[in-house]
Amino acid sequence: MRNPANLVGGVGSGQPISLLESVNIHFSYENGYKVFENINISVGQDKFVGIVGPSGIGKSTLLRIMGGFLAPDSGATYLMGKKITKPTPKVVFVHQSIITFPWMTALENVMLSPRSMKVPQSEAEIVAMKALEDVGLQGFEELYPKEMSGGMRQRVAIARALAANPMVLLMDEPFSHLDELTAEGLRQDIYNILFRVDTPLKGVVLVSHNLTEVLELADEIYILNNIPATVVGKLVVDIPRPRSIRNPKFSEYLDFLYTKLSPPGGKKNE
Amino acid sequence: MNEDLIIFLSVLATAGRVLGLVLLSIVTGWFLSYGAIKGKIFENIFISISEVFESVPVISFFPVVLILFITRIGGPLGVELAADFLVFTAVVWNIWIAEYQAFKTIPREMVEVGENYRLGFFSILRNIYIPFSIPRIVANLFPSVSDGFFYITVSEVFTIGVTTFQTFGIGTEMQALIAAGNTNGIILAFVFLALVIMVIIFFLRSFSKHAVAKYTVDTDTPVIRRGRFSFKNTTRRLSSTAATPFTRLSKYYRRRNPSVKNEMFEPERSGVNYSRYILATIGLVILAIILYSSTLLVLSVSDGEWSRLLALTPQIIIGLLYDYSRVAVVIAVTFVISITLGYYLAINSRAESVGVPLIQVLTAFPAPVYFPFVYIAFYPDFHAVFGPLTSEFFVIALAFISTFYYLFYSFWMGVKAMPSEYQELMKNLNMGFFSKMRRVIIPSTFPYLIAGISSTINSTWGGLMIGEYWPSIYGSRTLQVSNGLMRFIDINTRSGNLGAAAWASFVFGIVVVVFSIFFTRRMMDLARKRYVAEEGVFAA
Repeated sequence: MRNPANLVGGVGSGQPISLLESVNIHFSYENGYKVFENINISVGQDKFVGIVGPSGIGKSTLLRIMGGFLAPDSGATYLMGKKITKPTPKVVFVHQSIITFPWMTALENVMLSPRSMKVPQSEAEIVAMKALEDVGLQGFEELYPKEMSGGMRQRVAIARALAANPMVLLMDEPFSHLDELTAEGLRQDIYNILFRVDTPLKGVVLVSHNLTEVLELADEIYILNNIPATVVGKLVVDIPRPRSIRNPKFSEYLDFLYTKLSPPGGKKNE
Repeated sequence: MNEDLIIFLSVLATAGRVLGLVLLSIVTGWFLSYGAIKGKIFENIFISISEVFESVPVISFFPVVLILFITRIGGPLGVELAADFLVFTAVVWNIWIAEYQAFKTIPREMVEVGENYRLGFFSILRNIYIPFSIPRIVANLFPSVSDGFFYITVSEVFTIGVTTFQTFGIGTEMQALIAAGNTNGIILAFVFLALVIMVIIFFLRSFSKHAVAKYTVDTDTPVIRRGRFSFKNTTRRLSSTAATPFTRLSKYYRRRNPSVKNEMFEPERSGVNYSRYILATIGLVILAIILYSSTLLVLSVSDGEWSRLLALTPQIIIGLLYDYSRVAVVIAVTFVISITLGYYLAINSRAESVGVPLIQVLTAFPAPVYFPFVYIAFYPDFHAVFGPLTSEFFVIALAFISTFYYLFYSFWMGVKAMPSEYQELMKNLNMGFFSKMRRVIIPSTFPYLIAGISSTINSTWGGLMIGEYWPSIYGSRTLQVSNGLMRFIDINTRSGNLGAAAWASFVFGIVVVVFSIFFTRRMMDLARKRYVAEEGVFAA
């Protein structure tokens, strides 16, 4: 297959120091099973980075390492050159399962972020109202999660993440529990919501096994494969937004991703 | 016979009673629960009786039990049955309710498979219902065994009037050793008891792990087959295996849900169902017997006796107020310890691997056996601090020791059952301890806390019953408080005034049931409506 111009066979070099950068990540489970070997991922300023890989390869684990939730065996993740040793509100994780608190209204759920950063009640309320408005939930502030659809709940979770004023969002398959129509609607909104001029957000990492979704959203895509997992390719997506799957380049990129994601032929774990 | 051997055998006899009665509770519960899901009338009677008796502290049955077994049956058999019945009522209710809840919530598809293959009564129980109920039973075994040990030691030997009744076991043996001043024998009894309890807890923990791996129906739980680890390299599987099996078990612990939705019930069938009529008849007969016995009892009491009993009621109510104040202190102290130590153990796996088994052993170790030694050893020190309130302190301490486990265990289970994403989110937002507790942990463990507080209140009465009037706690020393309902019941039981003791128990029972209806149930309803953490996680 022809190699498109923007496809890179491995991690690119010569890029400037990134917003978020994971360097030489090695990681094993407690039973000795090697998950990652020498993973390098770089998230540039104002970039939407996708990570794809076969099911079970460890994409969510990698995201947790990038967020400081798990410590790698070796290697490290840096935020603006500063090593991340534990989770921080500057890098907020949006879970695959949509996490809200059933005993709090939508507004209270979102206020959790500013309140935990010691922002006064009245100010936190303003921040939360703004975040809810940003995700299109104006007028639904007093609803409890149980009274909302899956898509609305995910918007609440995203609003809560945004209300923490993060620099980076780590999104773990955020649309996987939504029906296709809702997911599509949210995907269309998400890029604009995340990269509004008035947010301090500077980068997003999206993990997904849905290649169409990643191609629709990401500026750069890292491809994980093999056992233990390594980055087997990086794709710079050069399609103007809003992207259409009918764009010939879209199919070309998709073919490339499928090729790279063929069953791992790497060495086996001992 | 060799004294050491007698001590060892007495420990085995006590342990045998506890385990035997737990087993009896489990087996009877399967049949009763199956009956309950098959017949509506039987279900209503069975569940109503179980819920009332579950909320009435077991110790308040004692005078009635004594009347029945000692005066009507008598002899060694009567004493043995009185002790056994008391322990049975201590362990049976939560196991029965757990089994009933399991049978009610069994997935319809599983039942349909059984029906599809036309499995008979025993076959469907053995292959479907019983295995499905195992995780819930296991989750309730630890508190049941602790409860059993607590009550067996006090029920093995008791006094009515001038007569002391006793049956062979470590409770009786320990009292004899103390009376004889046999220090070596006492130490040996403690060692044997500790060893037996450790073996039992070890067995229960191993069985729990096995039960969680084998009998839970969560599709993401890998089955561990006799030590062989079936690993598939997905993160989800890792996360479920990395967590202690007790995390999964926590989902089955005391999640009281009497208002199980109808769609989870067995599908209705058309046609004549004779078993339903048979079960309804059995239920009605049980109800009739209870009503008949109650009426006979009421009629047998003379008018003069009724007047005397009614005159005692204000004194009983005042005693009850004293005791509720003591209960409040115990709950407050237990709550603080639970949300600090309990939380620390729940989130630190290394500390948990040592701390939780240790606490399980300590709480299964019956407080009435060792408390006299604690009392005599520390009395001077605490007297220097508490002065005239020293007895009050010891009584509350005994109640605390005998009961803190329930709230602690419940809260610990609640934290373990919290969605792991909540923990991550709290870390992500750098939330402080009090913020975490107030906003996330206490609300998400609320159903567990209410269940734990309810159990703690119920078993605090046991500690108070023993402590408020404990003659000859050590030698000629008597531990007693000036006022309290449990003291009232204790003194009247010991002086042979069983009528007054039974009346106080009855008044107490009514208050407890009212408390349960207006407080505990409302709190549980609130917990079910709003504080179910799993409902905050959307994973359709």
